[in-house]
Amino acid sequence: MIRHTGGLIFRALSTLLIVLVIAFFITRIAYRNPAVMLAPRNASQQAIDAIAHALRLNEPWYLQLWYYLYRGPDIQGAPMGIAHWPPALGYSFRKQTPVTDLILSKVPVTLSLALGAVVIWMTLSILLGVIAARRQGSWLDRLISGFAYVSLSVPTFLSGILISYFLFFQLSNYGIFWFPSSGYVPLTENPFEWARHLALPWLTLALAEIGIFQQLVRASMLEILGEDYIRTARAKGVPEWRVYYDHALKAALNPVITLGGLELAVIMGGAIVTETIFGLDGVGRLAINSALEGDFPVVIGTTIFAAVSFVLCTFAVDIITRWRDPASQS
Amino acid sequence: MALLRSSFLRHPGAVAGALILIAILLMAIFAGILFPGDPWRMVARPNLPPFSPGHLFGTDMLGRDLAAGIAHGAQVTLLIALAVTMLAVAFGTAIGAVAGYFGGWVDDVAMRFTEFFQTIPSFLLTVVIVAIIAPSLTSIILAIAIVSWPQIARLVRAEVLSLVNQDFVRAARVGGLSSARIIWGHILPNVLSPVIVAASLMTATVILIESGISFLGLGNRDFVSWGYLLGTGRTAFRVNWWLSTIPGLAIFLTVLSLNLVGDGLNHWLNPRNSNRGGRA
Repeated sequence: MIRHTGGLIFRALSTLLIVLVIAFFITRIAYRNPAVMLAPRNASQQAIDAIAHALRLNEPWYLQLWYYLYRGPDIQGAPMGIAHWPPALGYSFRKQTPVTDLILSKVPVTLSLALGAVVIWMTLSILLGVIAARRQGSWLDRLISGFAYVSLSVPTFLSGILISYFLFFQLSNYGIFWFPSSGYVPLTENPFEWARHLALPWLTLALAEIGIFQQLVRASMLEILGEDYIRTARAKGVPEWRVYYDHALKAALNPVITLGGLELAVIMGGAIVTETIFGLDGVGRLAINSALEGDFPVVIGTTIFAAVSFVLCTFAVDIITRWRDPASQS
Repeated sequence: MALLRSSFLRHPGAVAGALILIAILLMAIFAGILFPGDPWRMVARPNLPPFSPGHLFGTDMLGRDLAAGIAHGAQVTLLIALAVTMLAVAFGTAIGAVAGYFGGWVDDVAMRFTEFFQTIPSFLLTVVIVAIIAPSLTSIILAIAIVSWPQIARLVRAEVLSLVNQDFVRAARVGGLSSARIIWGHILPNVLSPVIVAASLMTATVILIESGISFLGLGNRDFVSWGYLLGTGRTAFRVNWWLSTIPGLAIFLTVLSLNLVGDGLNHWLNPRNSNRGGRA
């Protein structure tokens, strides 16, 4: 167990280090000089050169990478060196604040978005998947399958726009203001407003995921229902609903949890389109805005944040599957 | 005709998907004949609603014909999707086949390499790459291909692993064939069918990613793609809903038909595991 965990952690750390290097090289192939993008309009060549010099943009790539890893771009009076490594994802070129602070300030939005959506789509997919498996081949199964195909194929930007049009704009035309069009209210401030502001983005994200998860639950259920122990349970006279919800579903959930962890990680890394449509200022918006502004330390930081979320979600999946596994409980 | 009817009865979804797909392909191929000239020029009064005479999908705020935009946009969108899929399949197959065939440290290194690209969410990575490097057709294609190949590599590796120790491969090895010839001539043909299925499903994902990029305003403005039409129409959604809804529906229909065709191919080519849900 300890060896297993140690190996996982070593693997995760080495993965993160290499992701960092990959992200660094992606910013190196930029077609615009970040110093030009950071300088005020009509800045003189001297001013641009000064910015480039201050950010060490003129030095060879290996020195830049070293500075990035070792101390982050220089800021007067900022702590430096390996001892201060954790906060040193570097400093934003543009805002002159630590990248970690910038990212952490956006995490509540993204986390709320991701967790709410995952709860909605998991509940609905399990419900629909079990129903479809129980009535395999019926018109209900076909209807749900059809819906799954729609969910799988509809682009988030289309569903997002339509959802915000009908559930915000059209309703407000009738004087119904159930859902606001955009914005975010922290959970700690007002839980009701928090949920109200996030309801439409949750719906948009959940809609995109239900299709694949419902199909997965259905396929997994059908496979489990064919196994011997289910037949034994039925032969023993276990009520049919318990066969489905107690015996079969428990075992059928493993692949669902695994994929759920991966999809959660994707949304944590930035549901850029959903955040854009509903005006949520999350990690995804931060990533794309900083990429457009040439704020490269933030770009690298958000990429690493996405990778860290991925690693954490994989860990979580690993722990949950082990904990659920009856063999490990003895 | 009888063949079509019987296969339609067995796989109504796949056949319907194939028909939609053919229609969209024809529209893309003949866009220049159907709507000659620059689709981006003004042809009529602005903001004509859909089903206006001569302008099936209406016009935008500058009086540009949306139907022409959709037809020409299909060319760009499908071209990008095909190019990305071919690149990703070629690269992914090469990596996966080598990893699976040689095993050992080669396999370890190749799979670790693949893992890094799967650690970063693909849409985020593409968007960041496109935002940082100049958004040209080539860079968009490369950026999406970079995030798409790992799944093919993993699939091919798994399939190759199940084949390397089979008798026909051993026989070929004993016969003194080079590794390259065994992989190319004996193993890859047997891996083809799952790769075809994965490629058709991947094309759908690529279209979604490409239109997402254009929707965010990062696409290349020299080429009108569906995502670009949708993105520009979004700001005026409350005035003329069709400007973003119709390109959105075009994307949706294409992706839907690709998913249907992909699952149909899966049933047809891999009957063994076809009851295990569409997407692997």
